[in-house]
Parts: sequence; C-alpha cells; structure tokens
Amino acid sequence: MQQGKMHPMHTYQSIRPFKQRKSFASRMEEVIGIREKFPTKVPVIVERYQRERYLPLLDKTKFLVPQELTMTQFITIIRGRMGLGSTQAFYLLVNNKTLASMSLTLAEIYQDYKDEDGFVYMTYASQEMFGYQLATDKGKSNECLQKT
Amino acid sequence: MNSVSPASVQYLSHDELPHSDGPQLFNSRAPIHGESYRRSISAAGSAHGQHSEPDEVDKIKCKVLSVWNKVKYGWTVKSKTNFSKLSPVYLFGYIYHFDREEDVERFHRDFASRIWLTYRREFQQLEGTTWTTDCGWGCMLRSGQMLLAQGLLVHFLGRDWTWPAALLPSGPAETDPGRSSSSPHHSVARLPPVPSLLASQSRGPSERWTLPRNCSPGELEKEGRHCKIISWFADRPEAPFGIHRLVDLGRSSGKRAGDWYGPSVTAHIVRKAVDCCSELGSVAVYVSQDCTVYKGDVAQLAGRSEGRAPWEPCAEWKAVIILVPMRLGGDSLNPAYVDCVKELLRLDFCIGIIGGKPRHSLYFVGYQDDFLLYLDPHYCQPFVDTTRENFPLESFHCNFPRKTAFSKMDPSCTIGFYARHSGEFEQLCSKLTQVRHPSKPHLPRGILQGGLNYANHMWPPSAPSPENATLGTPGIEEPGLGFR
Repeated sequence: MQQGKMHPMHTYQSIRPFKQRKSFASRMEEVIGIREKFPTKVPVIVERYQRERYLPLLDKTKFLVPQELTMTQFITIIRGRMGLGSTQAFYLLVNNKTLASMSLTLAEIYQDYKDEDGFVYMTYASQEMFGYQLATDKGKSNECLQKT
Repeated sequence: MNSVSPASVQYLSHDELPHSDGPQLFNSRAPIHGESYRRSISAAGSAHGQHSEPDEVDKIKCKVLSVWNKVKYGWTVKSKTNFSKLSPVYLFGYIYHFDREEDVERFHRDFASRIWLTYRREFQQLEGTTWTTDCGWGCMLRSGQMLLAQGLLVHFLGRDWTWPAALLPSGPAETDPGRSSSSPHHSVARLPPVPSLLASQSRGPSERWTLPRNCSPGELEKEGRHCKIISWFADRPEAPFGIHRLVDLGRSSGKRAGDWYGPSVTAHIVRKAVDCCSELGSVAVYVSQDCTVYKGDVAQLAGRSEGRAPWEPCAEWKAVIILVPMRLGGDSLNPAYVDCVKELLRLDFCIGIIGGKPRHSLYFVGYQDDFLLYLDPHYCQPFVDTTRENFPLESFHCNFPRKTAFSKMDPSCTIGFYARHSGEFEQLCSKLTQVRHPSKPHLPRGILQGGLNYANHMWPPSAPSPENATLGTPGIEEPGLGFR
C-alpha cells in the first residue's frame, strides 16, 4: 500500500471474532500454557474493527509481546506489518473502546485490561468518514468522476 | 451508509427541542424568511450537473436529492437552542455565566465573530470534475476550514477580537411576545434580541453590513485582516484554503471531489495547504501521529532561526497550530473521555474540534454541561465573490449557537491547539500534562489511564527528547511476536 493512500474496501471480510471461534475453556487453557512457557510475554489478540473499511486484515490475530514493550512500539510494529504510511489514521483500541496510553508497557496494559480468559483484546480501526448523501448516488457520482 | 430518509431531519429536534425545565428560549433570532427558503429551493437544481452522461432516472434522482438537501439544510437553522443559566458556558476556553445579562451578550458577540464556513453552490467547477457545489460531501472539509480559520483569527487578531458588526441590528428587533415575560429566576437564559444574519441574505445584494461610524484606524486595519482571512477560504481555485485547493491536496491521500472525508485526512490536507501558502509565513501546522506530539518535531517545524536552539526564549518562532487526530472509542464515544474533552475545550489554547455526529460533520467550539456547542457546515449558501471590494461578510458568520449531547459525538475527531510562540507551547504542554495528571483520585486506575491517557499521548513524559524525536526501531524482532 502506498503511503497515505486509502482505498476503501467495500466488502467487509467477515471473520468471526476470536472469542466466538473458541470456547472460553480452550482460550483459558491456551493462555495458561503460554504464560507457563513464556512468563515475560503478554498474549494479545488483535482484530480488525468489525466495520473497518480502509485498513487491511492482519495476517495474524494472536501476538505474544515482550512485556516491556510500550504501546508506541507495539503500534509501530503493527503499522509496519500492514505497510501503512505515516499519515494513515490507525488506532488500536483496547476492548474496542479505550485508546491506551502510548507510554504504557504491555505489562501494564495486561494488568489493567486483561480479559477473564487471560488474553488482552485489541481492535484496530482508522477513522469514520463524514458526508450526507444517498449511498447509491455516491457510487454513481464516483463512476462519473472516473469517466471525466 | 446513511440514507436520506425523512427521519434524518429529526436529528434536529432531538437535542434542540426546548427543554421542559423552563419556558424561556435562548435563541430569539428570527426564523429564516420564507423568501430565502424559496430561493434555495429554486436554486436547488445546481447540484444535478455532476453526471457526465446521466440518464433520466439519475437526473431526477439527483434533482430530488438536491432539493431535499436544500430543504433539509434550510431547516436546520430554524431550530432553537436552550442554554442553562445555572452552569457556565465555555467557548474556546472563555467562560460565560448566563445568569449575567452582560455575559449573555458577550457570549453572543464572541460566537457570532467566529468564521462560519458552509456548503456553497454555484462556484467554479472543481478541476477535472463537474462539481460546482460541495453540498452533501464537503462538510468535513468545511469543518477543517473553520478550525484553521479560528487559528488564523487568533493569530492575526487575537482571541479577544470580536467582529464589530457581530451584533449590529439589521432592522427592528423581532421579539416573541410569548417570551417577553422573562424573570430572573428562570433557569434558562435568553439572549437579547439580535438580528438574524441569515435573514439578511434576503435583502438586496447592494445592502450589506457596514462598520459602525467613527471607526478608529486600528479597527479599520483589523477589519481588513478579518476580510483577508475570509478571502483565503473563498471558493475559488486561487484561494489558498478554498475548497478547490483542499480537494486538490486531498488527491495524494486518495480522495476526490464527492468523496467523504475524515478528520485525520482533513488535518493533513489543512497542513499541506498551509505548507503551500506563501502568504502565510508566520504559521505552521503540525499533525500528530498516534496521538503523540513530539516536542522536537514541533520545535523543528516552528524554529526559524538557525544556529540558535529553538528552545531559547529569544529564539524566533513561528506560531504553531497543532492538530491531533484521534478515535475515542469503537462504535461510539467512550464515556470515559467526556471529561477529558471538556477539559481540553476549557483550555485557552484550544481552537476547537472537528468531528461530528456519525456521518454528519460539525465543528465543536465549546460546551455547557453535557452538550457540545458547534458550528454546522450543513447549510447550502450561494457562492460569494470575495475579490469584490467590500464583499458581504454576513454569510461567513453565524449567530445561532447550537448544541448536541456528548453521547452523540462520533468517536473520530481531530482536536486543534494554537501556540503563538515557544513559551505558549511550553505552557500548552504543561497544561496537557495536568489534564492527565492523577489529580482525580476518585477515579479508578483503569479510567484514569484510559480516560486521561491521550493527554499523556500528546505530551508523554516518556516521549522521545528532541534529539531522537522520530520513532526509533523498536528493539524487537517482528517474527517473534506472532504465535499460533
């Protein structure tokens, strides 16, 4: 993807959220196993916001992150994975509602926001667009503009 | 995707209906004259020329939509807004108490002096398209223009400046007999009768606002600057911040005329527009990434003198407009952020927030209680030729403050700040640090970090120093991160 360019992807690739794909018991079991094996790493689930239309899907959902990493560093990694330009809006929301402080470490995030199952859930999203027009009409106008 | 259903008109009535706690209406401005309303209807066909090969159905559809837009945007101004007398009103950091008559008038003068930019029609075609209006798609760009215009007003005229013609009567003040029996103990404030700026559009083009007599040379000079600023936002290709230029600059972000814009894209477009403007050497725009303002980056942008550290007090600095795009929640605004947004709007440095209700962009300028005050770009006005001497200014100002509940605010927004020099920037930084400072021990830790964190983003104590202002490579190998 080119820097700063945003191509709306009108078809949402609907993938069922991680929580729906796996039972609570198996998720918890997984976390216990991971924490035993890697006690200094934080298990994070990163998923795309359900109605996101501009950002691509990540190739991975589960991340095992060194606990001393800050949010800034973590976001830089995710941005890099997606090949996003610096001007592309990208927000990582903890539990789909909170912008975690950039200076917090993943260990602190884990302490404050971990789910009952032991994972931390994060959603990534760009920004909403604003306008007021019939959807069909908008599509038509765009076609028109391409012709001209 | 929004559909333009009749129900969408009702968004007006939800938060702008008179509250039941008092009979007094705040806004005594006259409703739009029937004449101007009919004029908008008759001119409504202007937007239908966007299709190069329109079939009949499309043509009619477009026309109907266009008329609908005019009707809708025409109606929006008719609504009335109540303000409580019991709690303070904040407008760009200034506080007004509506239980004091003089404050009500001062507020009104202040509000009506802000530059209001709305949809326009019948302007020169946008290059490479057939668009001659931004009606229906340009609202976020208009909000962005208003944010920049406020920054420039503060820069060139100061925060205290008010437009001398802001409260000039346009004729006999219209009063509602039902409201004349206001008594001081009512809890809802009423403005003194003020002229309707919009209604004045129905007057002939030769009539326009004139400055009060006995204008001092200083006032005349300020009025000149005021007009100059407005002309920078004119809807003509030559204007440095006009819709033509902004749409042009949006192309590198993959945006075209007719597209919808977001607060972050708009912030970058505004930054580019100021970068390109040769007339405006004394202001720079900084747009933060990941809600973090890097002090060193700002210093580099604002510092003009070479060989002297930009942080020295005597060093010459450009004024900086700092734009922070953010997303304060997923589906809806996280209520934990409401207090922070309020706190930011109370800062002198704040020049407002561009965002809106879902799909409906607004420029937030202040708040009272749980309601945001805003300027609404959704009103389609005809093009005004700003190259003419003494061009009419009334369509660039608005005297009907409106409000919407914080709970309706879309989580996507961009907050703007203005710092005149390095000293002010330092003050801004320390204020932002206080916003996130744990001075609210009653809040649970989670909310403190969640709710107050973005100030921390903007000015994190752990932010890189000016020497390493840009993001370094994190000391972690990517492949090690994922697991199955």
